[in-house]
Amino acid sequence: MLYRKSIWVFHLNTGGCNACDIEILDVITPYHDVERLGIKLVASPRHADMILMTGPVTREVLPKAVEAVLAVPEPKVIIAVGSCACGGGIWYDAYPTIGGVESFLKIMEEEYSVKVKAIYVPGCPPKPESIIYGIALALDMVKQKIKRQVYEEK
Amino acid sequence: MVKEIIENIKGAFADYIIGIEVNKNKVYIEVEKKCLRPLVKLIKTNKQIHYVTSVGVDERPLRGGFRVYHIFTSIEEDYSIIIHTSTPQSHLTIPSIVPVTPGANWAEREIQDLLGLKFTGHPDPRKLILPDDWPPNIYPLRKDTPYNIRPPSKPTLYPFKRPRETSTLPIGPYHPLLHEPEYFELYVKGEEVVDVEYRGFHVHRGIEKLGESKLTYNQIPFIAERICGICGFTHSTCYCQAVEEAIGIDVPERARYIRSILLELERIHSHLLWIGVACHLLGFDTGFMHAWRIREPVMQLCEILTGNRKTYGANLVGGVRWDIKEKGVKKTLNVLSKIEDEFKRFIEDLMSIREVKLRLTNTGVLTKKDALKMEVVGPVLRASGVKYDVRKAHPYAAYKEVSFNVPVYSEGDNMARLIVRIDEVLESINIIRELIDKLPKGPIITEEIEIPGNRKGLSMTEAPRGENLHFIITGRDGFIYRWKVRAPTYANIPALKIMLKGCPLSDAPITIASIDPCFSCTDRVKVIDIKTKKTITVPLMRISRGKIW
Amino acid sequence: MVKRLRLISTAKRVGVVTRPYPFRPTEVPEEFRGKPIIDGEKCTGCGSCRNVCTPNAIEIEDDLEKGVRRVKIFYGRCIFCGRCSDICPEEAIKLTKEFELASKTREDLYQVIELKMVKCKICGKPFTTERSLKKTLKSVPEELHEQLYICPDCREKSTAYIESYTKRR
Repeated sequence: MLYRKSIWVFHLNTGGCNACDIEILDVITPYHDVERLGIKLVASPRHADMILMTGPVTREVLPKAVEAVLAVPEPKVIIAVGSCACGGGIWYDAYPTIGGVESFLKIMEEEYSVKVKAIYVPGCPPKPESIIYGIALALDMVKQKIKRQVYEEK
Repeated sequence: MVKEIIENIKGAFADYIIGIEVNKNKVYIEVEKKCLRPLVKLIKTNKQIHYVTSVGVDERPLRGGFRVYHIFTSIEEDYSIIIHTSTPQSHLTIPSIVPVTPGANWAEREIQDLLGLKFTGHPDPRKLILPDDWPPNIYPLRKDTPYNIRPPSKPTLYPFKRPRETSTLPIGPYHPLLHEPEYFELYVKGEEVVDVEYRGFHVHRGIEKLGESKLTYNQIPFIAERICGICGFTHSTCYCQAVEEAIGIDVPERARYIRSILLELERIHSHLLWIGVACHLLGFDTGFMHAWRIREPVMQLCEILTGNRKTYGANLVGGVRWDIKEKGVKKTLNVLSKIEDEFKRFIEDLMSIREVKLRLTNTGVLTKKDALKMEVVGPVLRASGVKYDVRKAHPYAAYKEVSFNVPVYSEGDNMARLIVRIDEVLESINIIRELIDKLPKGPIITEEIEIPGNRKGLSMTEAPRGENLHFIITGRDGFIYRWKVRAPTYANIPALKIMLKGCPLSDAPITIASIDPCFSCTDRVKVIDIKTKKTITVPLMRISRGKIW
Repeated sequence: MVKRLRLISTAKRVGVVTRPYPFRPTEVPEEFRGKPIIDGEKCTGCGSCRNVCTPNAIEIEDDLEKGVRRVKIFYGRCIFCGRCSDICPEEAIKLTKEFELASKTREDLYQVIELKMVKCKICGKPFTTERSLKKTLKSVPEELHEQLYICPDCREKSTAYIESYTKRR
């Protein structure tokens, strides 16, 4: 396991509608209270262990998001929260977006030679419990439940 | 009153009027473009007329040229006047109405960015919406530009107008208690804010273009709900009402009541969210946790009624998808009585703290005259002494059948904006109880629907942040030709220039948050001392508490 | 000063509201819309779900070499609205109550159904699935069954030939 103690998280909104963002804030409020597990939201990417990214990455935000991700110390892990971040959402091929975290990781690798690992948490918006499950999966505390299923007609 | 205005227009501008069309309570007047500015000046002499927005339409496939609609509505009567004019493709200029209506500033810049029309006489024709690296001469909303075009990047710097002899404070896009990325620049002299500049639209995702090109009319309510994740149901209801008005069908009564119940539940959760965020910005984190603790049962109730905590997905053109059963009604009444009790106690606790009252009273003042001049909407307008609520002025869904008060205060400071929202939560709880009492039986959706082409529909709703507007023109084969959305924060942000002038720096965060810009979008600040060239980075919380150096 | 001590009595009155989530499972109401699953035995590959899906999370592609039609759901882009489940004529798609869908790789977020296709008797190109054809055979009279094994392009050509033949006669 890469991290032995509790992790600090930086929230990065790359142009989403805010539904995923308020579910992330819901995770620190009394009903779910993730601070009892040691996780807290930090103000600066330099203090962060992981990044929670929401929103399809828009063209206007792209250079600023790249700067924020470059400031995170190694190893870099991005948790893509919501359907916009995982696959681009409804606007995956619209003109002002670049389409979700896959294209963002490609840009980071090709133009800045930085390797970033990604974890996907689908949902629109995902429940606070799903987000806690996603962070626990990144820490290898739980087993992954979903697998690629193929059915072939005989 | 409005009928008199229309008679005056017919008398004074008879030579320039091309046609008048009446659709229930909406009057469409087509004029030639040279009489636009004096005509709008005549309309605006009336105190009850309020400018809403302007829409640009590319009509080259239909009848050639481009058309611009200017939409005005009355604050007191249930009437709207829409002035439209067209221009041929060879002369893409239209006289601007900003010298007579300052509220039209952003709407005309948007048409300039997305369609390529030029407005002569506009005082500030800078780029507004498209990204900084978008190449010139590609206009996304024109009908010959595909929706998935990805042109190569041409980076440019945004031209900020910085006044002299001031320090610049960039409040740049990322914030600890995060929401949307937005960018403000505050210009300070010592501790006092002199001016503010805004570079927003980081969240521009091309929603209108997608709705016009690849989605059918029944897929658009799902994308409309994701325009904003906090007040999404208002947007999808407003769109469905605009289409229903354009094609002339009636929604069953039970569906209208169910829509109103879900709209009021959304208002309660949105105001509680804002109160929590405002407490956090004042440094009162206990208040933030208590406000969100009280809000959580509302989210769980919506999960039982519609299947999801947010983005309910309950609207379709013609009605709603699911019914509220006996079990849902009982649970709603339970949750409402619990919330009312907890909320009243929380407000007493909040007002018993002296610092909250001292920091909010007499800060960020917006007078009634300025509020009417900048055409602000929502709780910001009602806290400055103007009584305008779309649920009373232009009733929609089931609001005609319930009785409720509209809270209005005249001080115009941050405290008035807080108290307006507190009163609205208590009113909403009573509205839901009355709606459940009177809930009629019957069907919940109108099945077979046909969409004829070239019909216009206009609808307004009262979102938690203010007045919302959707305008549609139907096209062929079940597609929509033009869809325009005007969200309430769009009208409120330009008023920040007036509210922040002369304001001490520590009051800037709570003033920016008090217009409820679909979340407070202020964040970490870089403070630059021009004389010693020292730069330090300070979290916004510390500025808000007065400790900078 | 004394007034703000009310916060302490409020904290005592409210108590603890935290849910024990990671250590104990959480219950969801029965109306909850979770992960959609296609029942492979019932799906006929008609494509109604793909036409109605707003973010294009359901894709259908025909593999002409192998002769199969693949129906793919990508959970990364799904918005969990439930329109596919409303519109399926075979009731093959249902929304379950699963919400713990986090994954380390993008490939795990797919469900793929492969259906065998029928080849045209004249040109040999696969044009529809076996199950869809069987369903149509039930509602069409016996005399026309021969015609259903021909793809739409060839059927157009053969009817045009028959029409021109009868005209010449």
